[in-house]
Amino acid sequence: MADHSKGATLDGLTSVQHPPGQTEPRKRAFMDVISDDKYYKWMLVIPLILVLCIFMFYPLFYCMYYSLHEFGMVKAATWTGLENYRDVLQDGEFWLALGRTGYVLCLSIGAELIIGMSIAVLFNREFFGQNAIRGMILLPLLIAPLAVSMMWNFFLQYDFGIVNLFLGLFGIPKVSWFAPGTGLNTIAAISIWQWAPFSIFVLLAGLKSLPRDSFEAARVDGGGPWYVFRRLTLPNLAPLIMIIVLLRTMWLIRLFDPLYGTTRGGADTELLDWQIYRNSFVYFDIGRGSALAIISLFLTMIICGILFRQLMRALSGANR
Amino acid sequence: MKKVLFWALTFLVFFTFVSPLIWMYLTSFKTNADIYTQEISKMFYFTPVLANYKTLFFKTEFFRELINTIIISGVSTVLVMLVALPAAYSFARWETGHGHLLFVTISTRMFPAAVAAIPFFMAFKALGMLDMHIGLLLLYLYFNVSFAVFLLYGFFREIPPELEQAAQVDGYGRLDIFRKIVFPMIKPGAAITAIFCFIFSWNEFLYAFLFTRNIARTLTMGMASFWASGQIDWGTMAACVCLAILPTLAAAWFMQRYIIRGLTFGAIKG
Repeated sequence: MADHSKGATLDGLTSVQHPPGQTEPRKRAFMDVISDDKYYKWMLVIPLILVLCIFMFYPLFYCMYYSLHEFGMVKAATWTGLENYRDVLQDGEFWLALGRTGYVLCLSIGAELIIGMSIAVLFNREFFGQNAIRGMILLPLLIAPLAVSMMWNFFLQYDFGIVNLFLGLFGIPKVSWFAPGTGLNTIAAISIWQWAPFSIFVLLAGLKSLPRDSFEAARVDGGGPWYVFRRLTLPNLAPLIMIIVLLRTMWLIRLFDPLYGTTRGGADTELLDWQIYRNSFVYFDIGRGSALAIISLFLTMIICGILFRQLMRALSGANR
Repeated sequence: MKKVLFWALTFLVFFTFVSPLIWMYLTSFKTNADIYTQEISKMFYFTPVLANYKTLFFKTEFFRELINTIIISGVSTVLVMLVALPAAYSFARWETGHGHLLFVTISTRMFPAAVAAIPFFMAFKALGMLDMHIGLLLLYLYFNVSFAVFLLYGFFREIPPELEQAAQVDGYGRLDIFRKIVFPMIKPGAAITAIFCFIFSWNEFLYAFLFTRNIARTLTMGMASFWASGQIDWGTMAACVCLAILPTLAAAWFMQRYIIRGLTFGAIKG
């Protein structure tokens, strides 16, 4: 009730606009306390906090708890301390999966940035039908990743896949795309096909918003196109490139659907998320699965911290 | 000369990103003989048939999966908006929690899917909620809420606070301000956010795969089941994929201006 004084001033203001007696005074006082900003703003986030508690903190503590236990769903869980973590860190398969995930990360993001930058520079002009072409190229972005991978699985079939037949026209022998050794690259390529448009249009948005005058000045001063690109364009686009790298890292670390649609973790393509799935839902080794999940979470949290700072910087920059 | 080069490159880009989709739609109208043919000419000149769609409609559970997907995506989107709209408004207007709460919210988006999958699999098993719409629906609420809060936060920040202050002076209550001043201005942003949440739920596979079997299975599960069987029926699979991605293609076409903004959590206006 300490906030009644503030409510009273609001009442005073309102009575100027509306004839008094239109609303009941007692009901008003209660509404004023509720709608005082100090309480109101917290009331609005209560549903969110509830959702976070249920869906974030419960699973987190559950995973932490069982990662310290031997638990196979049949027998009761027994305390084993850091045993699960030691097993995981000593397991060659874990390091292989981690290495493959890192490889796919570097390959996809590198290729997407190079392709994205080239096409963004190509499209950074006015041309006939630019909106239609832009719209068409954006199409792959929202398709279900599983559908994309199954689609490419069909195109890349050894015997009758269109890609192998097409290459055959140029005399190139058939390639088995999902064999050990090539499988991982194929999965990265599928991901690149779907997500290159993302890089293209993020960088294009950046190119379109570059300050014109400094480029004019550089051109007048006799800077060649390559010099201007390296010294002016790239530094200006650095925050956007940062955002692409961080968002893609975040999505690629949990790459799962393209694996299911193609090799299903076989042919030396098992990535981190698939290993978690295999341990916890195929072998039902909940303890070990939880330990893997916590490790994966820590890796992502480090990236998440950087991402958030970058996003906030970009947001405040855009509002200025 | 420069122009020719530009159009050649543009065509190449266009071909790379669009032709696979066209090829998929062509395949869905082919007979098995035309699918397995090795002759390039026969791959383009074929008599279109609807056999694949007939198989899909009458021999598989396609319609049930479609209805399940619509129910689960739709209801979870409504729930997400009910939670995210007030929260994002609070964050944008009063910096509730000084950014820390917002940080915690966004960090859920970066959680490996398995961190939630393992505990909720056990919990739903105990509660008998596996293979029920409500289980998947609640997981999609969790899956989308941080994204929705963050995107809406950006939209709310575009509304000048002066408008609300003016309304307050005019004697509007807090609820009225939200209903009559803020909501009409946030409507387009809210619609875009809702469509994104709907599509993300529509496309989601891992949770659908782990938490549904028969009754509540979604379209992505239906697609995956073609690949799971020994003899793969590519034609019917193509038909299934083509129909399942149709709404997302339509959304991508009509929301082109907002896709980049949405996918970057509002950081880049596109």
